[in-house]
Amino acid sequence: MVLYDSATLGGSCSGSSSSSSSSKPPPLQQRQQTQQDIDGFLAGAGYRVRSSELRKVAQRLERLETAMVNSPADLSQLASDTIHYNPSDLASWVDSLLSELTQPPTCPSEFIMDPVSNQTVVSDAWTTAEPHMPQVHQNISYEQQSLNNQLTVVPAMEEDSGIRLVHMLMTCAECVQRGDFSLATSCLEDMQGLLTRVNTVCGIGKVAGHFIDALSRRIFQGIGGGSVNGGSAYENELLYHHFYEACPYLKFAHFTANQAILEAFDGHDCVHVVDFNLMHGLQWPALIQALALRPGGPPLLRLTGIGPPSPDGRDSLREIGLRLAELARSVNVRFAFRGVAASRLEDVKPWMLQVNPKESVAVNSIMQLHRLLGSDPNRNSPIETVLSWIRSLNPKIMTVVEQEANHNQPGFLDRFTEALHYYSTMFDSLEACTVQPNKALAEIYIQREIANVVSCEGSARVERHEPLSKWRTRLSGAGFRPLHLGSNAYKQASMLLTLFSAEGYSVEENDGCLTLGWHSRPLIAASAWQAVSDGTADFPA
Amino acid sequence: MARSNEVNLNECKMVVPLNTWVLISNFKLAYNLLRRPDGTFNRHLAEFLDRKVPANANPVDGVFSFDVLIDRGTSLLSRIYRPTTAEEPQLNIAELEKPVMAAVVPVIIFFHGGSFAHSSANSAIYDTLCRRLVSLCKAVVVSVNYRRAPENRYPCAYDDGWTALKWVNSRPWLQSQKDSKVHIYLAGDSSGGNIAHHVALRAIESGIDVLGNILLNPMFGGQERTESEKRLDGKYFVTLRDRDWYWRAYLPEGEDRDHLACNPFGPNGRSLEGIKFPKSLVVVAGLDLIQDWQLAYVEGLKKAGQEVKLLYMEQATIGFYLLPNNNHFHTVMDEISKFVSSDC
Repeated sequence: MVLYDSATLGGSCSGSSSSSSSSKPPPLQQRQQTQQDIDGFLAGAGYRVRSSELRKVAQRLERLETAMVNSPADLSQLASDTIHYNPSDLASWVDSLLSELTQPPTCPSEFIMDPVSNQTVVSDAWTTAEPHMPQVHQNISYEQQSLNNQLTVVPAMEEDSGIRLVHMLMTCAECVQRGDFSLATSCLEDMQGLLTRVNTVCGIGKVAGHFIDALSRRIFQGIGGGSVNGGSAYENELLYHHFYEACPYLKFAHFTANQAILEAFDGHDCVHVVDFNLMHGLQWPALIQALALRPGGPPLLRLTGIGPPSPDGRDSLREIGLRLAELARSVNVRFAFRGVAASRLEDVKPWMLQVNPKESVAVNSIMQLHRLLGSDPNRNSPIETVLSWIRSLNPKIMTVVEQEANHNQPGFLDRFTEALHYYSTMFDSLEACTVQPNKALAEIYIQREIANVVSCEGSARVERHEPLSKWRTRLSGAGFRPLHLGSNAYKQASMLLTLFSAEGYSVEENDGCLTLGWHSRPLIAASAWQAVSDGTADFPA
Repeated sequence: MARSNEVNLNECKMVVPLNTWVLISNFKLAYNLLRRPDGTFNRHLAEFLDRKVPANANPVDGVFSFDVLIDRGTSLLSRIYRPTTAEEPQLNIAELEKPVMAAVVPVIIFFHGGSFAHSSANSAIYDTLCRRLVSLCKAVVVSVNYRRAPENRYPCAYDDGWTALKWVNSRPWLQSQKDSKVHIYLAGDSSGGNIAHHVALRAIESGIDVLGNILLNPMFGGQERTESEKRLDGKYFVTLRDRDWYWRAYLPEGEDRDHLACNPFGPNGRSLEGIKFPKSLVVVAGLDLIQDWQLAYVEGLKKAGQEVKLLYMEQATIGFYLLPNNNHFHTVMDEISKFVSSDC
């Protein structure tokens, strides 16, 4: 079993990291250094500290140590109760620990208590005899490593057939990019042949089969993609539900978002959740129950669920709403539901949500924002439009969960390569889950995503996944600031995983966000945001 | 001029650069939060706080990396680091396991430190260190993500190391062209150094050739309190108490520090006389409180007639090799490079 890194294998002529579209951005390290004077060595260890602040951070560390040594009660509180945030920002981490302590240490920073003899010792090492160590060999390229280059799983490469299959997939995709469809077609035939010699029940054979199908679709049906994503709303919901059951990605998304929303709503009595994709409302029972149990009692909860219109006269949104209302009633939470039917998220206008100025609003987007990234030169950018009206609602929190992948690159081969890695990893993780009837349908759910990424273009291609680093830039540019997810959310997510899933899943902290992945390749990323309160935002050009 | 108390606390700051002090103190304080008095470990917080980096098949400074699942049963991952050559600037997905092209390519199996409980193969500090080893030694580096204490006690870490060694030894694409064999070195810092020793023993017993061991501040100990332990306790980031905690977490319950895992040349150890043990490069930091055990290890090897080179870095503290901002770092890296290349 091999895990590979995706990055820009096989095709990017500029050699750029997969996060950039055409040109290579300056190494993050260099940008930060010129702008903020970040210590290069500590950056290589994963910490961002400004060189000009090193001394201050050192003093704070000393103070913290003193406090921890002097008060074991404080130590144990820091160890167990304190919630930690964003450890990469070392200065703020140390400061947050210091502020947690019940008794802030009263020793001025010039003096340190000798823990052994309790005698005061003059500590002026920082101001006088600091050793002069020449900082040679300053390595400035560490951060490049973490620029969006991710791990993937490509199963069992021991077989020659498996390796050949991958080679041929890449060759075929390259032909498609070049427009050499006759060669691509003969590749397809060869691959079909090879598939018969490879185990297609699991491993590379299974995922390769889906990619071969998607390539066929692209070559023979053209990039409209036929009815790849045209399944009925009912079908989509069914597949989604099975994907939810079969593996932990959606559970993680819901759980993490709910935790953040719960915390954001603390102390608020009128709250309104806007769900960008209600589906069967699977996310909400847990939040309703958590709100019911919160100290001080539950708030008045309004839920606005957005979803596609039902074709057959049923109002499926309303049906879900009624079920949730019943649950809320049973736990004594005052609840109101509103459904907003829209085929596309960009068709929703804020007035439809009927937000009351006195409410605290949470906007919840589980894998919806990427669908707004298709650009049509005749329209305003949908993502900008939607982010703008979200911001105008001034939500207390916006929870965003997205696939942690770079499937929106303009070059087809790059996208194909990235997707091959990503979905191989995902399929691999699925195989490790217990066999259930759900699994087959869950696989179809994933297969549809693959088909959309590979065989569609233009407005038909809605699965335009972008990685966390890009979302950060985009959301910051649109006037949002991150709300960090802390060690409590991390711990609960980890524990949830051990309850639900096979070993191999891992939760990671990434600059205030949490990711869930398979064997150290993150596959899904959860983050939380708040509108910046000043006047204007800078929209990306 | 210094009163003894001043020496205690100020010395520490005098001997390391400011950023090193910040880094190691940060680890020290964070680790204090993770070790519970009852012997359990706050694993969730540990993983949350640990700074990790993903693998990167895009070469950075001539090195690329990818992760491999070596053993499904134990979820044993390893991160493989390879040098790029001028002829292959762009990599194809199926070429990550392309055969090594040189007459001789050293393969260094690396075991990260962390006193058996902390860190991972994808921890930022170790990813950085492994990349340096690749460039330095023109080697392939295999960093093993072994199971950690206290959840997994002795001998899990050694078992994982052994599994990794067998896996490396059986990869056709890692064989040097000259003799179609894999040229294996074992390396590690702190607990990783201890693991390297024990895995080397197993290799010898099973007839797998290991060309050399590189032990950076290896973690050894014993029941007795040595002079260096008493003199340096608490002075340079490390305390005897935390050392004791980690041994209690790793060793089988009820065992003391004269267990052969901890004290290979102690009362329960075995002599290596007559055994074809690999040559060893052992780096000892002069301000490391366990240096007496490390020096005893070197003596034990010498007494058994084994080839060993000791690098005693007088003014070095633990972790000096993590940041390239001091002279000890460069000295040691040069020696490692010579150690590995002398077989080419």
